[in-house]
Amino acid sequence: MLSNRSLVGIRLSFQTLAVLFFMAMGVSAYAADPSVVNSDEAIAAGKAVFNANCKTCHKLDQKYIGPALRGATDRNSAAWVKTWIANSQAVIASGDAYAVALYKEYNNSVMPSYAFLSDAELDGLLSYIEYGDKVDPAAASAALASGGDGVGSATSGIPSEYLTIIIGVLVFILILILIVLGLIVNVLTKYIYKQDMDADDKEYISQKIDFGKLLKSDAVVIIVTTLVVAFVAKTAIDGLYSIGVQQGYAPAQPIAFSHALHAGQYEIACQYCHTGVEIGKSANIPSANICMNCHTHIQNVGGKEGISPEIQKIYNAVDTNQPIEWVRVHNLPDLAYFNHAQHVAVGGVECQTCHGPIQEMEVVGQHSTLTMGWCIDCHRQTEIATEGNVYYDKLVQLHATSKDALKVKDIGGLECAKCHY
Amino acid sequence: MKIANASLFACSALAFSLMVGCKAGGENQGLEYAPQMYHSVAYEPLTQIKDEAQGSWLSTREDGKGEFFNSNVYNPHGMNMREPVSNTVPRNKQGYLPHRLLQFELEKAALIPNPVTSSEEILKDGEKLYLQYCNACHGKGGEGDGKAGEVIGGVANLKGGAYVNLPEGHIFHVITKGKGRMGAHGSQIPAESRWKIVHYVKQVIQGQAAATVAESTAVATENPAK
Repeated sequence: MLSNRSLVGIRLSFQTLAVLFFMAMGVSAYAADPSVVNSDEAIAAGKAVFNANCKTCHKLDQKYIGPALRGATDRNSAAWVKTWIANSQAVIASGDAYAVALYKEYNNSVMPSYAFLSDAELDGLLSYIEYGDKVDPAAASAALASGGDGVGSATSGIPSEYLTIIIGVLVFILILILIVLGLIVNVLTKYIYKQDMDADDKEYISQKIDFGKLLKSDAVVIIVTTLVVAFVAKTAIDGLYSIGVQQGYAPAQPIAFSHALHAGQYEIACQYCHTGVEIGKSANIPSANICMNCHTHIQNVGGKEGISPEIQKIYNAVDTNQPIEWVRVHNLPDLAYFNHAQHVAVGGVECQTCHGPIQEMEVVGQHSTLTMGWCIDCHRQTEIATEGNVYYDKLVQLHATSKDALKVKDIGGLECAKCHY
Repeated sequence: MKIANASLFACSALAFSLMVGCKAGGENQGLEYAPQMYHSVAYEPLTQIKDEAQGSWLSTREDGKGEFFNSNVYNPHGMNMREPVSNTVPRNKQGYLPHRLLQFELEKAALIPNPVTSSEEILKDGEKLYLQYCNACHGKGGEGDGKAGEVIGGVANLKGGAYVNLPEGHIFHVITKGKGRMGAHGSQIPAESRWKIVHYVKQVIQGQAAATVAESTAVATENPAK
């Protein structure tokens, strides 16, 4: 008996869902509750309420986090909609079939209570929902077309195809000039041979350059030898200096994570993921739960359908409780000590100062040399932000006699044991 | 002359090929000078070499493993880090205990007073932390218009009526445990910083006066209602 009942219940909710679906399909064919006023003031007032409270989850004509709102008072009475807005959870708890089906359809996501909205505000909101910002399909397509025109006319200057043609023509003209010049030289030489000339002139005209002799001349040998030696020395010295310097190392990672997308386009702060940077030695690689803060909802790139294979790797890692084995890019030798918190929290150094334009990197590579000279250079030049930090008060006093500003080198930034111990 | 030339050529070719090989780039890490000083003997955070043969060409280790092998064979996945022993709590400067309320226990959480006393400095810290951890979704002004928030959708407008009057403990709890579409941020942001963010949200974004300080902040626990 019990199971029968629940089965009926499921069928019922399926029916309601189907009804809901068809209603959503036929959004244009609805009749709003007659009690909802269609006046400009009401719509304007309602728009303000909508923008402050509803727009992060709802759109008027599109399904978003919650359902599309237009036609709400057609699907239910205005009074019902108002009670729903005031406390949707209470309506669901009361067992209202429509409410329960709606709750289920949107994966049991809870809409906060808006009991603080006055009746007048709700009236305005309903007016806006039903009559505000209507998209006229004809007007929309017209706007799109004019927008397209705007783009076309906006591109000023010479299009690239024309440029290529112009360059082609210029090259053709140059070749023509060369041919003509060659012909002229030819004609002139022939003409000279026909003239009477003395022996000196004849020799001068018919002389040939002896390349073999030229190559073996002392000057050429010395010049070439010097060049080769200089080149080899330069390569050797450069090569020796690059031993132990991993600048440019940009290994492929297990997940094709793009900093350009996350830190650049979406402006997520570095510290959001690299949480240790201000409190510890290492900046930390985020664990998968931090990825999941956003990627629970974002399953593909650029709003595409389905799950991106790269994002799927995070889900797999979470499901199987396997760590993601990122490849370490910055490998400071163990012989040197470096502490992120000291530089970022206390020194106020920007991440990009050492790591380069991370927010533009698709694949992260080592931007700086991370050599000792590079560290020391910065310690010599960087002034200390002593203001508001009691720790530096005595040091500032001691340094007051010096003409130069207090720099890292003045407080032991060049001491060997500061980093090597 | 000929011998000199030939040897010069050979030398340059050798030097060239050697030196080009040293330089790091792409997948190539480059050559290391004195690699035994580069690789940590002790476990290093974020450095884990699971290949037992790596560096065996210069190994002097007694266990016969490669010089660079650096992962803990006793931990799952060879990790160098272990989770804390169960039923223990970390000690901290502030004496905070872990926040043990469950995600749905919002009403209990609302009763927790803010143990951090507000000041201009705290608000400045709060702003910095807000920009680091909240800005991407909730936006600078808290209106739910951050760039990442637009993609996720359903981000709360902190100035909206449904949120503007929420108690500080509620905000702290939601940051810690998450709510609705928002994930739990307790693992990312230390408790004290979360309370600083609460001050910033309440006073600067929502423009309200600081809540009356709890009578006793001396016994500052994250979770007095346990």
